[in-house]
Amino acid sequence: MISSEQGLFGEFGGRYVPEILRPALCQLEDIYQQLRSDENFWQEYLQLTQEFSGRPTPLTPLPRLSESLGGAKIWLKREDLNHSGAHKINNVLGQALLVKRMGKQRIIAETGAGQHGLATAIIAARMGLQATIYMGSEDVERQYSNVFWMRQLGAEVVPVSHGSCTLKDALDEALRDWAASVDDTHYVLGTACGPAPFPELVTYFQRVISQEIRAQAKHQIGALPNAVVACVGGGSNALGAFCDFLDEPSVRLLGVEAGGRSQQPGQHSIRLQGDLASPGIAQGYKTLFLQNRDGQLGETHSIAAGLDYVGVSPVLADLVARGRVDATSATDSEVTHAFQLLMRYEGIIPALESSHALAGGFALAKKMQPHEHVVINLSGRGDKDIFNIAQALPQQEWLDFLKREVTRTEQRLRESANNPNREEQYVSNV
Amino acid sequence: MFPTSNESLKVMSHCVVGFPSLEENEHAIDGLVAAGIRLIELQVPFSDPVADGPVLVNACVKALARGGSFEATLALARKVSRRHPEVTFVLMSYLNPIYQYGIPAAIDEIANAGIEGIIVPDWPVEAMRPHLPHMEKRGVAPILMVTPNTASTRIAEIASASRGMLYVVSRMGVTGSSTHWGEEFQIYIARVKKHTNLPLAVGFGVRTREDLQALRGRVEVAAFCSQYIEWQAELGSERAAERMAQVVQSIHAA
Ligand SMILES: Cc1ncc(COP(=O)(O)O)c(C=O)c1O
Repeated sequence: MISSEQGLFGEFGGRYVPEILRPALCQLEDIYQQLRSDENFWQEYLQLTQEFSGRPTPLTPLPRLSESLGGAKIWLKREDLNHSGAHKINNVLGQALLVKRMGKQRIIAETGAGQHGLATAIIAARMGLQATIYMGSEDVERQYSNVFWMRQLGAEVVPVSHGSCTLKDALDEALRDWAASVDDTHYVLGTACGPAPFPELVTYFQRVISQEIRAQAKHQIGALPNAVVACVGGGSNALGAFCDFLDEPSVRLLGVEAGGRSQQPGQHSIRLQGDLASPGIAQGYKTLFLQNRDGQLGETHSIAAGLDYVGVSPVLADLVARGRVDATSATDSEVTHAFQLLMRYEGIIPALESSHALAGGFALAKKMQPHEHVVINLSGRGDKDIFNIAQALPQQEWLDFLKREVTRTEQRLRESANNPNREEQYVSNV
Repeated sequence: MFPTSNESLKVMSHCVVGFPSLEENEHAIDGLVAAGIRLIELQVPFSDPVADGPVLVNACVKALARGGSFEATLALARKVSRRHPEVTFVLMSYLNPIYQYGIPAAIDEIANAGIEGIIVPDWPVEAMRPHLPHMEKRGVAPILMVTPNTASTRIAEIASASRGMLYVVSRMGVTGSSTHWGEEFQIYIARVKKHTNLPLAVGFGVRTREDLQALRGRVEVAAFCSQYIEWQAELGSERAAERMAQVVQSIHAA
């Protein structure tokens, strides 16, 4: 279990926010500290994840792929089987319980891949709260299926079209909204980043992943795994998967960042390795940021919208600095390859984010012995990436389908314009 | 020189370094001085200005593309502070550019450039405290912010670390939109005054002459920033300065 001294993890973390946000963060900190030592609260949280999200998620062996790669036995922790399709729901359910205690009526969130936004929109619908989701305009285009669902769920999705138009700009915009709305609004930050107590709070809820891996590994493998691998955008799924193994030196912990197209500036999101990133203070906290010498945060790239974040969890930055967690990266093309391998060998469609963990995990497994075990955290499922994958693996068939679909949609819009009472109106008029 | 307490209202205005361009910054400042402005914030453009609204965010994005930076801000300050000794220049920045430069070295250079104070919205008082003695020694006034939801004990703490003036954020939110100066605001100002004798600078949402009239006699400084940058973007620096001249006259006239 991680816990911080005043929100600090080694030299990272802290609370560097405009004064206006301080009271809300202090309130959140107080509630979190109370609940953290309350075993009943954890049980309430677990029950919610079981009833609503489908926990525990299985630990799935990959026999065909393990044999084909010829190294360690590979297992997947199936966070993709959560309701809404990703680990993000764990944190959202936990924060929803906090919102209930604080009595706030509105929630806001930032989202990259859209999975956190989707989870937030889902919980807002279920609890009868108002939700606003900030999303970089570039990510809106890349992850449109999630935008569509968020809006159908009743959330307002606000595209952010300045700066790099991705996750970091969505986070800035959410902080700005919060500054004007702290009285009645909770900011459901989606990853283990931002000002204290968010890094610790989000990790606390994601910890459920490693608790389950531990119990399941004992049962299914008969021992702790030799390695646990997860992708790293902000770091929440990785910390969740690593948390309960931090005090087990026999378990190797590996985070996989987005290697993107190359290691040129703006072409990747590698923050934890080498000196591509450096310590900085922005977006409310101190961590390793991709930035220039003037302290301006840099551009990033990844094939996966959820991994192209410019900073990284201060908790992970510290764990890597202390040598407890190792970091590696996977390039866009390695990721596409790993994605295809999992589909073809095991019949599972992974998210592009999670495919980074697969690429890193497969490479590691190959170097290990057949009696060893690697658990890869499959943070999400790939349905949301259908357009990206179709682009990465261009096929005439897909193009033809899109053209037919456009024609059909245009026709339907024309018809409903002529006849406004048609039943299609139903959905938007609920 | 900062205003003293109970002086009549002064207008502080703004410059985003690099917006519309580094060359134009100099002319724009000359224009502001000619308009009667004696307090000017030089904003170091930043990639992630979380306390700013759309006008300043967009100005920052453009300024960065046109060479705005911490170094460029120092260079500009060296020129304009020498040319306009009657004007008090204040540096406004987010913490990271200062942190990357090295905080002690940055304070030295800020002082050397003729800048008299700094406003850094994401530098909380507890993190700033170790650097206060150095700022005091170099004559760089830390101008910290209080907001309507700042607890009274914390107002006292922030005020005691501040020098020159105390920045009073008028309402909840980021820079740029308007503010009401009703009874609640008066109670807020009274509460702040209980904890400090520093002159008060009110900012966030000062956009019209009516706003200035409402602040006259209550506080010493009104920060007229986003609206000026909006004029600058829409009408050019010269016409924006003319409007500022009218603004300054309006508070003397009434
Ligand atoms: C499926 C999936 N995995 C991973 C991530 C990265 O987030 P984190 O690094 O916080 O786990 C995202 C973020 O959007 C995601 O949607």
